[in-house]
Amino acid sequence: MTEYTPTNAGTVTRYVVVESYNVTPADVAIRAYEIAKGVMIKENCFGLVVMGKEEDVDRVIAEVRKMDPAHIFVKDRGFPPGDARRCRATLGGARPGFHGIEFEMGILPYISHALEELDHRDAAAIAAPKSAQNAPRLDVYTLKKMIDTQEP
Amino acid sequence: MTAPVRIAQLSCGPDYSGVQQEINAAAKTVNGEIFFPDVALKDITRDFDAFGLEVRSPDLKLAISRAMALVDGRVEADAVFIATCFRCAEAAIVRNELRRYILEHSKLPVVSYSFTERTTAGTLLTRMEALTTIARRRALLAREVQEGITLGIDSGSSTTKAILMKDNKIIGTGWQPTTEVLKCAREVVDHALAEAGMKLEAVQAIGTTGYGRFLVGKDFNADLIQEELTVNSKGAVYLANKQHGPATVIDIGGMDNKAITVMDGIPGTFTMGGICAGASGRFLEMTAKRLGVDITELGPLAMKGMGSRVPMNSYCIVFGTQSLVNALAAGSTREDVAAAACHSVAEQVFEQQLQEVDIKEPVLMVGGTSLIEGLVHAMGELLKVKIVVPPHSQYIGAVGSALLASGFIKDGTDAGH
Amino acid sequence: MVKVFIYPATSLILSDMVTRFGHTPLGSAIAIRERVQTPGLESVPLQITPEEPKKGLRWAAVEVPSGVRGRMSLYGPMVEECDAAIIINNADLAFGCMGCARTNELLKFLLRQKDIPKLELEYPANEDEGVRFVAAIKKFLNDLGGKP
Repeated sequence: MTEYTPTNAGTVTRYVVVESYNVTPADVAIRAYEIAKGVMIKENCFGLVVMGKEEDVDRVIAEVRKMDPAHIFVKDRGFPPGDARRCRATLGGARPGFHGIEFEMGILPYISHALEELDHRDAAAIAAPKSAQNAPRLDVYTLKKMIDTQEP
Repeated sequence: MTAPVRIAQLSCGPDYSGVQQEINAAAKTVNGEIFFPDVALKDITRDFDAFGLEVRSPDLKLAISRAMALVDGRVEADAVFIATCFRCAEAAIVRNELRRYILEHSKLPVVSYSFTERTTAGTLLTRMEALTTIARRRALLAREVQEGITLGIDSGSSTTKAILMKDNKIIGTGWQPTTEVLKCAREVVDHALAEAGMKLEAVQAIGTTGYGRFLVGKDFNADLIQEELTVNSKGAVYLANKQHGPATVIDIGGMDNKAITVMDGIPGTFTMGGICAGASGRFLEMTAKRLGVDITELGPLAMKGMGSRVPMNSYCIVFGTQSLVNALAAGSTREDVAAAACHSVAEQVFEQQLQEVDIKEPVLMVGGTSLIEGLVHAMGELLKVKIVVPPHSQYIGAVGSALLASGFIKDGTDAGH
Repeated sequence: MVKVFIYPATSLILSDMVTRFGHTPLGSAIAIRERVQTPGLESVPLQITPEEPKKGLRWAAVEVPSGVRGRMSLYGPMVEECDAAIIINNADLAFGCMGCARTNELLKFLLRQKDIPKLELEYPANEDEGVRFVAAIKKFLNDLGGKP
């Protein structure tokens, strides 16, 4: 077995996902480059990958989030940007985790809308989400009534 | 160097079991390259619905979609490797169904494997080699007639065999138990040459197979060094004269067992098992020893007995031997015990491996164990078919090697060795 | 600031919500980062060596497939470390680290067994559900003492 020496010890990497009508991933990238100061920034199809010391990465992220707070999302990543072990170019296809992000990207508009709503509404005053498991089923009495009203 | 064989991996769990790099390494050794077919989320959900197998694990859904992308030609590959965790029932169902689906709907060679965290590149090597051979060397495997003077050496885990062939006929044979790999190989070759009254210099091409193929191949400067899955299936259909159409080859070896489906002499699906020795030729050797008979007498002895009178069905050679000892101590006859041992081995190969290949007749049994009549009989009963044991079946690997090696005879040179 | 285990552990939405509302998300990336940044023996792609499924024996017995035990070696320590958990129950399309249904079942069970504040919900399918979803998460995280 081969010895493994990590190349990026002590750093953190985070994804910045942009799901916005007003700001493009390129706009966010430009802003990030301006304030990078040693933080590595890489653009990809859904936003940026930012790597560096944790406090520096968080500083850059806090700044770019301000561009469109309800439409910019952040997630940790285990690998540094462009790592061949996770790269589509070397694997042939996307790493499995990508499809998970692809799935959540479809839900982000609802999250963005909610974040904007909650800017002026109290979260505590909003009804709890309905769970599919707890969703009421048709009771037998109603069913019977429906059957009875049918023409023979 | 030729372009690597592109092997599409459909899997769940190897990266979390720490064995992905073993898969990569095995592929690389045989000039293969593992890749993951690219699909999008919309493909995954659509393909998963279309395939109709409602598994829960997302990575299995992804594997299904990737398989469909290969079959539909959305992604190109030369071969397919399906790997899931050992002991996962959900994954085992997907693995089998995907293998079947790909074989029915495409010409891609497929191998499937269930790994544990202990799986190594070495274990996977023979399978990967067979996979890349089928993908890359179809022309080589198309050979149906032996030409010139060629030598085949099968350096197996239990026995070493040599076959000398000339103009499509066997003219010399050599056989002995494997001890020192090279010494045994040289001795069986000497025997085959002496039988034919020939010198090594007259041999025009040499092929090697079996566990010791690399070492022996290097020593003899072989023209073809090839794993036993493709060589044995080639040898089996050649000896049985079933080179066209479908066939199934079963080879219960000393260390591992092979079950191979063949179409026109080219292997399709194959399984190679060998975790538990209770289902190996070695167990029959031990049985013969315990019964105080030579291995060649075990078959006829078993034919006289009734296996169902003795309970014996252990995966493990130690527990299997224990059942054997108990049966003898309880007064069972040697004939019944011999028959039970044959049935036990056949049943386990049937249960563990033959379920993973689609049995098509003729079913050919080859390798040293095919000479054990009782074993062939037990297998025939389980499969409900008449099993064919071709002549020289114990020399199968050596014959296959000699046959395929004739593709390497160079024009104008009558002696290469 | 408390450590909140997110399920699915690969969730962008949950990771963002937890950070946005002032806490620390515990998920797959943290466990993978730890491995990718630790010297040892090479094991592509995730630096999960064959030793990890053995470490996973702490949470799942030897007859459990190696992929489950390997994944549990990522999550087990974080389940023990977390102070709260948010679980999305219909996360059927989270792959890779969340790609094994058996691991996911065990993981959810271990979180439910633990005596910590928990929030269980489902992905929203429209704007109204989205508002309820985010509001519930925000309220839950605020109650843990996060940012208002």
